[in-house]
Amino acid sequence: MGMKSFKKALWVFHVNSGSCNGCDIEIVAALTPRYDVERFGIKLVGSPRHADVMALTGPVTNDLEDKVKRVYEQMPEPKVVLVVGSCAISGGVFHESYHLAGPVNKVLPDATCVYVPGCPPRPEAIIHGVVKAWEYLEKAGGGE
Amino acid sequence: MLETTGGYWSPIVWIVSFMVAFLIAYIIWGTGEKRHSGGEQGKPFLSGLKEPPKEEVHVRAGNIYWGFTDTLGGYYDFMKKIHTGIVNDYVLWFLGMAAIFFVAVVLPGVLGWA
Repeated sequence: MGMKSFKKALWVFHVNSGSCNGCDIEIVAALTPRYDVERFGIKLVGSPRHADVMALTGPVTNDLEDKVKRVYEQMPEPKVVLVVGSCAISGGVFHESYHLAGPVNKVLPDATCVYVPGCPPRPEAIIHGVVKAWEYLEKAGGGE
Repeated sequence: MLETTGGYWSPIVWIVSFMVAFLIAYIIWGTGEKRHSGGEQGKPFLSGLKEPPKEEVHVRAGNIYWGFTDTLGGYYDFMKKIHTGIVNDYVLWFLGMAAIFFVAVVLPGVLGWA
């Protein structure tokens, strides 16, 4: 990746916008001792105000649309949306559902997104996506 | 400078302490996030839900003594009914009570019935 180290730890806020929980379980798997992303300073936080990255799973249902927008607006700049899984990227198997406001690029058209495809993506892929988001934030001067 | 057995009070010391506290607060404030946009970022986080109006989440005095109003429901219903908020009604109550007082207390005293 051409980077020796990062300037600051990366905090992630996880939003489930109607996911089947498959992707959510893989995000949790990335935190388990097998992958242990916290040793790199990547951790999940309880408030979007503390987060650099929003890890979004699910196809964004109508009920969750305003919540997703609100959470995104509450995050400080610079910020990245980590779009985890096929549903969040394209709607996946739910793409023709009557109950869908998403996918995420329809709900947050101005957001900088990192896409992690898969149904669900493996933890390695999610970690790779987080690192890509991290690189963007380092260039954007996050936390300075 | 005012000296007492408990210590002393000096306006100069007070002003200097205030200025030092202000300076520390200003330095802490200066290290904050400058790109904070206010608006939605300044509102409390309620799991993505919209912040309800203050009137809806405010804990009123009635939330504390609801047991009394519930138990003494009949009494409170009657009291609420007579507290119309119209001055004319209150004046009528006053005149009525004054008339009863006059007949029951003042007249017997004056006429020597008691």
